[in-house]
Amino acid sequence: MADKKKRRRPDSDSDSASQPFKNLLKSDDQILQILESFTSSFSSSSTSKPLTLADLALSTTCREVSDLSLSSVQSAIESLVLQLTHQILSGQGFSFTIPSRSSSNQLYVPELDRIVLKDKSTVRPFSHISSVRKTTITAKILSLVHQLCLKNIHVTKRDLFYTDVKLFQDQIQSDAVLDDVSCMLGCTRSSLNVIAAEKGVVVGRLIFSDNGDMIDCTKMGMGGKAIPPNIDRVGDMQSDALFILLVEKDAAYIRLAEDRFYNRFPCIIVTAKGQPDVATRLFLRKMKMELKLPVLALVDSDPYGLKILSVYGCGSKNMSYDSANLTTPDIKWLGIRPSDLDKYKIPEQCRLPMTEQDIKTGKDLLEEDFVKKNPGWVEELNLMVKTKQKAEIQALSSFGFQYLSEVYLPLKLQQQDWL
Amino acid sequence: MESESPVETKKSKSKTPKKAKESILKQKSPAEFFAENKNIAGFDNPGKCLYTTVREFVENALDSAESISELPMIEITIEEIVKSKFNSMIGLVDRERIDEALYDDYETAKAREKRLAKEAKAQEIQAKNAALGKKVKEHAVSKAAKSRGEASFYRVTCKDNGRGMPHDDIPNMFGRVLSGTKYGLKQTRGKFGLGAKMALIWSKMSTGLPIDISSSMRGQNYISFCRLDIDIHRNVPHIHLHEKRDNKDKWHGAEIQVVIEGNWTTYRSKILHYMRQMAVITPYSQFLFKFVSDTPDKNVTIKFARRTDVMPPVPVETKHHPSSVDILLIKRLIAETSKQNLLQFLQHEFVNIGKPLADRLIGEMGPEFSPKMAVKSLTDQQIVRIHQLFRQAKFDDPSGDCLSPAGEYNLRLGIIKELHPDMVATYSGSAQVFEGHPFIVEAGVSVGGKDVKQGLNIFRFANRIPLLFEQGGDVVTRTALKRISWNNYKINQTQDKIGVFVSIVSTKIPFKGTGKEYIGDDISEIATAVKSAIQQCCIQLKSKIVKKMQAREQQERKRNLSKYIPDATNAVYDVLKEMAKSNSSKKKRYEEGDADILRKVSDHLITKETLTEKLTQHVEKVDYEMALEYATQTGVREEPREDIYLQSLDGKGNFSDFHSPIFVFRLFL
Repeated sequence: MADKKKRRRPDSDSDSASQPFKNLLKSDDQILQILESFTSSFSSSSTSKPLTLADLALSTTCREVSDLSLSSVQSAIESLVLQLTHQILSGQGFSFTIPSRSSSNQLYVPELDRIVLKDKSTVRPFSHISSVRKTTITAKILSLVHQLCLKNIHVTKRDLFYTDVKLFQDQIQSDAVLDDVSCMLGCTRSSLNVIAAEKGVVVGRLIFSDNGDMIDCTKMGMGGKAIPPNIDRVGDMQSDALFILLVEKDAAYIRLAEDRFYNRFPCIIVTAKGQPDVATRLFLRKMKMELKLPVLALVDSDPYGLKILSVYGCGSKNMSYDSANLTTPDIKWLGIRPSDLDKYKIPEQCRLPMTEQDIKTGKDLLEEDFVKKNPGWVEELNLMVKTKQKAEIQALSSFGFQYLSEVYLPLKLQQQDWL
Repeated sequence: MESESPVETKKSKSKTPKKAKESILKQKSPAEFFAENKNIAGFDNPGKCLYTTVREFVENALDSAESISELPMIEITIEEIVKSKFNSMIGLVDRERIDEALYDDYETAKAREKRLAKEAKAQEIQAKNAALGKKVKEHAVSKAAKSRGEASFYRVTCKDNGRGMPHDDIPNMFGRVLSGTKYGLKQTRGKFGLGAKMALIWSKMSTGLPIDISSSMRGQNYISFCRLDIDIHRNVPHIHLHEKRDNKDKWHGAEIQVVIEGNWTTYRSKILHYMRQMAVITPYSQFLFKFVSDTPDKNVTIKFARRTDVMPPVPVETKHHPSSVDILLIKRLIAETSKQNLLQFLQHEFVNIGKPLADRLIGEMGPEFSPKMAVKSLTDQQIVRIHQLFRQAKFDDPSGDCLSPAGEYNLRLGIIKELHPDMVATYSGSAQVFEGHPFIVEAGVSVGGKDVKQGLNIFRFANRIPLLFEQGGDVVTRTALKRISWNNYKINQTQDKIGVFVSIVSTKIPFKGTGKEYIGDDISEIATAVKSAIQQCCIQLKSKIVKKMQAREQQERKRNLSKYIPDATNAVYDVLKEMAKSNSSKKKRYEEGDADILRKVSDHLITKETLTEKLTQHVEKVDYEMALEYATQTGVREEPREDIYLQSLDGKGNFSDFHSPIFVFRLFL
């Protein structure tokens, strides 16, 4: 794998004018050396076992779920249903006690560098007009998951929704209750045997087994390999990459995949095409944990880029109950950072003015603990809110479509310019 | 109103260069100008002419009655006059057509064939529909298209109980354009002060018939009767008859009658809307509207009854605010003033300039100005300097005291009276200022009601008259449609019947366009005031709506809860069934209490029906408890009722009114 490096060095003298900073680039070998030393120092430093809630003596005040076997999920549902039956038969109606996933029940734990769920719960009684619908949906989802357990099959969230469209009305409702159910049962969503349609893709120097088949991600063509929704069937990861490159957008991913960037600088390229789904987050975490590689993120220079980055890093509020499994610690913000706009002289016509909403999101982000803990990020975000300008990764295309893969990224790597 | 004369001079100036050679310098009388540009005053086409005539008469009548603090009682009659009747009125013999092909509406043989074929087809379809039992739509018998010659004529009569006019002034009040009593800076109805004169010009243009005026003033023992038309070229009245008649009934007021060309069919709804909206904004007046024609089923008689006897005060004339005047106006004020020196002039001809400020202003004007200098001796340059200073200096805002808003009380009564809404809220803003003119925005929002269509129904009023045309660009329409998030107030913008009433009064309404039919959306002061007024109403409504929703929730709770029982029991029972299976096959062990249940499930002692029944019982119990709780919390309370209005028998009582936004306290002395 390592020998198949396709070196496609363009003529360096012809287009240095149109591709600024190209002359600053050292030879690839030199850059590789820099990277190698970084990676080796990185993997040696990150050997320590990650902290858990129990280590911080927070396990009583915070809630966390774990992977449960199918049979234990089944018994959990059964004992819950028996409880309900007792309640109904005694003429009290029935109700669920569901951990609250509202933002007031979230806690950012700096030691863990992720969001966790606090222990507040809400009671969802059947005989109340405001909760009757959700209670019924919860019962329905429980019964559906129970069936999945009995039959030992996986279905998608969409399948689940279509079992009773009339009751669920739209998929958002059944999806939300599904999260409630996994939270209530104390298991991860994957343990419920419900998966989301695959969204993420991976390409580059990675070999792994998916349901028993060996996959070589350098030989997956341009599109790469879709990230399998069942992380429990993924294993045997091997790689000679020096880092993992996390890309926000599909377009940038395609550019890098087509230019076979991973051959020039051995790496694994991953994207979830926007907001990351559970499968991609699980996959990224698994790669990071097993391969011990640094993760570098390439996102848009706007508040949403940083938000996506934070979801990978600290978890989303919606699924904070499972943040232990879903988050990937220590992701480096490689670009495009607000300071890059001037540093790389991105022309004015490629920058976009931030809307009111953008600026508000940016200011809200500045209040978030997971941003505050990183002074470099705060500085960048302040700069963004101040200049009121944003730029997408594609803004680099103003210097030529391949500027991203041929100048910008190599230069960034060479300078170890990440936060 | 001062803008009229410049318009005219400009017009004659611009005409001159066009006919460059051997052109004779022509003078145009104001009457001629308006005859040629009648669209400015709202006389665009026969239909609009009929509408504008009615509205000018109604507004004059209201002004007249309000000026003597008399509760207005106005009768408007529109009488359709068919062509033959019209011809006999003017003494023209009705002639049969001899050369049919000469006429515009002559039907050629080909066209006739086509029409007959079409009619046959339509009949066929209708027969088919009837056979299929579909609701048969009344097929409009295709009338022979009205040709250009086939004008309809109407006699418009308007009778009021107002001030009336002095006998000798009547000819000049009607027969001379741009002469009037309403000039001056105050809140006025009407658009140009042209009033009935435009109607007269239009009648002269379309029918050639004169106008009849009867009038009597309070305590006058005769009625003045005057029949006149207008000499358009000389802008002077042309009197046919001017005499005094008996006044047996001690009537005072005016009755005006004019015969004009119009179009009732197309403007029927506009005229009725106008009357209805006028009734909303003036609930203290009584209108009797009649449409009379030869075909009785087309006749309309509507009485808009009086709902209150509290009238807004008569708007008072005010002085100009220094930041609202232009150079021309300063010159006019100088020409008209009785004050001798500059100091007195500043102090007395403008609002918000006291003596100290006047002194300071004169000091600021420059060394060639002094307080004692004769105001009439000011040069043009000096006047420009004064104007510049007025523009830049800071003055207190004019107060809204000179304005006469409809008042929340009246607006509310008007809305209730005409729309019978389920809910209504009103709000009256404080006076604000735009370009030196004070304005007040009042708003009402109603939900539900009769004859109200779903969605937003917008009623706009400027200086207490309804605005019906050019709704799209108006500040009120745009605000209501785009800047109010109705959802926030639990109002459904598309489903609910929402009435939005906004009344703006000002000494100068900043109309847009020539027709003076709408207020532009570009004045942020007004847009903000309108928005906040509507929002205030919505906030009031929200709490009422929430209460109603709670009450409805009470009623529907049982049904809404019961709806979900089958789904819930199914879900629980499905799991139980599976568990019972594995329990009986000993696949899994359960605790004793649980195993007991599961055995009962397998023995069909516990079935889906058992669960349903238990859950239903529970729902009923909960519903009963909550209904009880709701009843104890809210108490048994009926909706407050609106009192009916009884007109007092003795109207001449000596009393004074104390106004508050929600009620009026009347003290009889």
